[in-house]
Amino acid sequence: MSLSQALISAISGLNTTQSNLALVSANVANAGTPGYVRKTPNQIATAANGTAVSVRTVSIQRELDTYVQKQLRTENSGASYATVRAQFYSQLQNVYGQPGTDSSLESVFNDFNTSLQTLAASPDDPSARSAVISTAQQLTQQLNSMTQSVQSLRSSAELGLSDAVSQANDAMQHIADINGQLAGVTTIDSSAALLLDQRDSYINKLSNLMDINVVQGGQNQITVYTNSGVQLVGKTASTLGFDTQGTINANSVWSADSDKRGVGTLTLTSANGSQVDLVQNNSIRSGEIAAYLQMRDQDLVQAQSQLDAFAAAMSSALSDTTTAGTAVTSGVQNGFDVDISGLQAGNTVNINYTDPLTNKQHTLTLMRVDDPKALPLSDSATTNPNDHVVGIDFSAGMTSVWGQISSAMGATGMVASNPSGNTLRVLNDGPGNIVTVNGVSTTKTATSLAGGSSQLPFFTDGSSAYSGAIDGQGSQITGLAGRISVNTLLAGDPSKLVSYASGVASGDATRPNFLYQQLGSASQVFAPNTGIGTAASPFSGSMSTYLRQVISLQGQNADAASNLKQGQDVVQSALQQKFDDASSVNIDQEMANLLTLQNAYAANARVLSAVKDMLDTLMKL
Amino acid sequence: MTVSSISGTSAAMIQSLLNLRGQLNDLTTQLSTGKKSTTYAGLGVQRGVSVSLNSQLSAIGGYDTTGASVMTRINVANTALNSMSTVVSNVKSAMSQGTNVSGIGGASQTQTTAQASLDTLMGLLNTQAGDRYLFGGKVTDQPPVESSDHILNGDGTRAGLVQLVSERKQADLGASGLGRLAVTNPTLSSLDIAEDAVSPFGFKLASVSSNLTNATVNGPAGSPADLSIDLGSGNPNDGDSLTLRLNLPDGTTSSVTLTATTASPAGPNQFTIGATPSDTTASLTTALTSALTTLGSTDLTAASAVQASNEFFAADANTPPQRVDGPPFDTATALKNGSASDTVIWYTGDSDSDPARSTATAQIDPSLSVGYGVRANEQGLRAMVQNIATLAAVSISTTNPNGVDLSQQLNTRVATGLAGQPGDQTVTDISTDLANAQISITAATTRHQQQTSTLQGYLDQIQGVSEEEVGTQILTLQTRLQASMQVTAMMYQTSLVNYMP
Repeated sequence: MSLSQALISAISGLNTTQSNLALVSANVANAGTPGYVRKTPNQIATAANGTAVSVRTVSIQRELDTYVQKQLRTENSGASYATVRAQFYSQLQNVYGQPGTDSSLESVFNDFNTSLQTLAASPDDPSARSAVISTAQQLTQQLNSMTQSVQSLRSSAELGLSDAVSQANDAMQHIADINGQLAGVTTIDSSAALLLDQRDSYINKLSNLMDINVVQGGQNQITVYTNSGVQLVGKTASTLGFDTQGTINANSVWSADSDKRGVGTLTLTSANGSQVDLVQNNSIRSGEIAAYLQMRDQDLVQAQSQLDAFAAAMSSALSDTTTAGTAVTSGVQNGFDVDISGLQAGNTVNINYTDPLTNKQHTLTLMRVDDPKALPLSDSATTNPNDHVVGIDFSAGMTSVWGQISSAMGATGMVASNPSGNTLRVLNDGPGNIVTVNGVSTTKTATSLAGGSSQLPFFTDGSSAYSGAIDGQGSQITGLAGRISVNTLLAGDPSKLVSYASGVASGDATRPNFLYQQLGSASQVFAPNTGIGTAASPFSGSMSTYLRQVISLQGQNADAASNLKQGQDVVQSALQQKFDDASSVNIDQEMANLLTLQNAYAANARVLSAVKDMLDTLMKL
Repeated sequence: MTVSSISGTSAAMIQSLLNLRGQLNDLTTQLSTGKKSTTYAGLGVQRGVSVSLNSQLSAIGGYDTTGASVMTRINVANTALNSMSTVVSNVKSAMSQGTNVSGIGGASQTQTTAQASLDTLMGLLNTQAGDRYLFGGKVTDQPPVESSDHILNGDGTRAGLVQLVSERKQADLGASGLGRLAVTNPTLSSLDIAEDAVSPFGFKLASVSSNLTNATVNGPAGSPADLSIDLGSGNPNDGDSLTLRLNLPDGTTSSVTLTATTASPAGPNQFTIGATPSDTTASLTTALTSALTTLGSTDLTAASAVQASNEFFAADANTPPQRVDGPPFDTATALKNGSASDTVIWYTGDSDSDPARSTATAQIDPSLSVGYGVRANEQGLRAMVQNIATLAAVSISTTNPNGVDLSQQLNTRVATGLAGQPGDQTVTDISTDLANAQISITAATTRHQQQTSTLQGYLDQIQGVSEEEVGTQILTLQTRLQASMQVTAMMYQTSLVNYMP
């Protein structure tokens, strides 16, 4: 031990204190910087020559709880998923209007019903007639504008995705860069610590966008995977691609087939050039991107289907007539005759038969199709869950039609023939007793405003009739709510609301009563893609009960989304709190450190001055 | 509850402050709008119920609006029906005045009254409630009946009742005025009365009863019917009589009784017993011809007018009017179908086969529909119009020697027609039907009022907020928010920085 050693120790103490002070001041200065993690010095005592003891700062310690950090990242993606969904749902709720106000769908529908009631009481009153037309127009306009709103929400989701993708690319690129910069660093000094801070903040950003899994490697390297296992960043960053579609309507939906796809899809191109479709693989399950995808491809599509089903049920309820066939006997065979002229695309011939072996009833539905590309139809083409649907292509002439019908019968044992004109005769197999025909009926869409029956094409799909036609592109029902309008011929001649045939008296309430009854209380069946009812037992009820279900379901979804968001917010802020407790700058603590450092500095200086005094004393000898 | 350590920036604390502030904003909105939420999501689990309630309330509102307008229509219709009854009783009293008191002068007076009454009736049947005609069944946008002028006098080429009555009268009386009967003497001592053809016109020989001594009466038999009286075997005795019963076109009957007398000249409805059966036959023939002529210009004329009126008023859009197949009318043997272009069809409303009440129905409850339609050609209304029109259509000249009799015959028939047969529908029946509909509507409306208040109360519970509750909540929240803010502020103030030298 010597005085000079003491001097060296004191000087190293002063140096260390100074650098610690710099750290305190950096901590205080960055107290409000987002992503800044409190730094503390790692100082060790060093010995030299066995006797000399000094102190030095070997590295900078970032004060963080990595376990909490990992959890926080998971919750980040959960929270932003919930937030985006809650935002979308709260906008979607506005689409349904304020409860009980004139702008809500239910009020507009109720107004339409009331105007029909008034018309039924005063069929001759021109003002009652025009009130029906104008309330119906309000209803169709409401459906049109709701469709527009839903589709513009889908469009915002599409844009949101495109934004999120560019943010994700930016974050991934930065993470890869920082990985590169940190590759050669062995000790963490303050600049390396700052790089780590930055990298963490990019990872956080990325974790907001999607659910990621961060794997810590050696040499300060990290690798980022999606939770599904696709690598996003390693030494190099992969690139996310998104082909944004400018216009989105009800018919643009995601499909694995790029020709049929009307919306953008996410592709991940890795550094070696291989491409993966992340939507197809369902690789992203949380975060903003997942929320946008969920809204664009599921929730908003369902909301649209609900509106479409409403529009379709309303339209069909007023226009479709089901006519039972007439019983015929031909030799030893029994069966029914139906007239298949006037079948529109989407209209059906319904054949109910029993198979005596199992004694089970079956329904065979023959549906007119005008586009051979639509064939074969799936059994879900009708809302009836228990039928087998066969599409009959009418585009190749009647000879082909009869042939197709016959072959559709083939396996059942029933025999179809065409005795004359457009009559379809369906017979059992006679003495063979393999099959019993219980009934044959046709469902046709009325095309004339005064065709002699109460049914009329009240609503049209744009300018053409709505009959539920299915073609190669899909079903006519898709997006119907956006195109439905009051038949312009009817709007031009409201007297057709009463006169269902020529010579019908002005006060004849037959048709108004039918209209009110169909919309007010008649039961309709709604397809299961509305989210209401299931494929096995589809929801059936009046228009008003269906509307109730829709609004109930949407309200519940919105409520659930907002509850989820609140829950996620609580979890996330609790975790953030926990994380901050460990890693954020606490001014009080820093100030206390400052006092300590001041004291230490003063003490070291005191040692220095004592050594100087002692050296002076020594020199004076 | 664990207290998280107090640090400079407490994310949870700020979050909870924001939440409190958000809640306060929501409550303020609730207080100012009186609504629980501006979205369905905010209504809670009962949002679906609120949709159903709104739809139910709207339907009830619709039923009540329907009920109110139907109520007005029924009131108007009932007023009209009451006025019609008054008109009918006026005509009835005018008739009894006219025939029994005032003689032939009264006949034309009765006719004038009938014409004026018909005017009023037609006006009443064309009653409108708003723009809706009430007595035309389903045809509510045009008057259901023609004007009384058209009905009586026709309109251009379309014949009216007066013309039909006149044609029918010619057909019924025939050229001779004997009611299409031919009275001949095949031999000097025999008499033959024959219908001139098989036709719906004129007298129809129904039966004959005779206690004429020595006379042989045969018939009526054959088609056309024929009746012969042979006095060849000797004269009848004084006081013997012959009664001939005749069917009239309107279904009534009439009879002629001729009594043998020795007095010469014979009195009315008597014939003088001559020296020989041939003389007696001649006298009987004269008496019979005269009696038939008188009967023709009284009973038959009245019956003919009534029948013409029956045929005229039976017509509607689906039933063509029956008219005499002529000219010439006096030899016509059949009726033919008229058409809307040659005959006034008095009733232009709907003429379907469904009951009149069901031509206008109002759904006043989900399961209750009331019918309040009325057709002007319903039995009760038609009988009224038809009979008064008959009275108005037959003009009785003051110079007609049989005028008073004719008038009496006509009045009797009209009075019978107005009184109706037991079981026939009357105006009162229609009023009663309408009143029943009104009762149903009133009952439904009362029920709806109760339902509305219950449903509205329920809806308010779901959609609305109680101001007191919200006010209290705001106060509580305000206190909590203030306290939280104060504590947060205090926490931020207590920093070591403030205490360092």
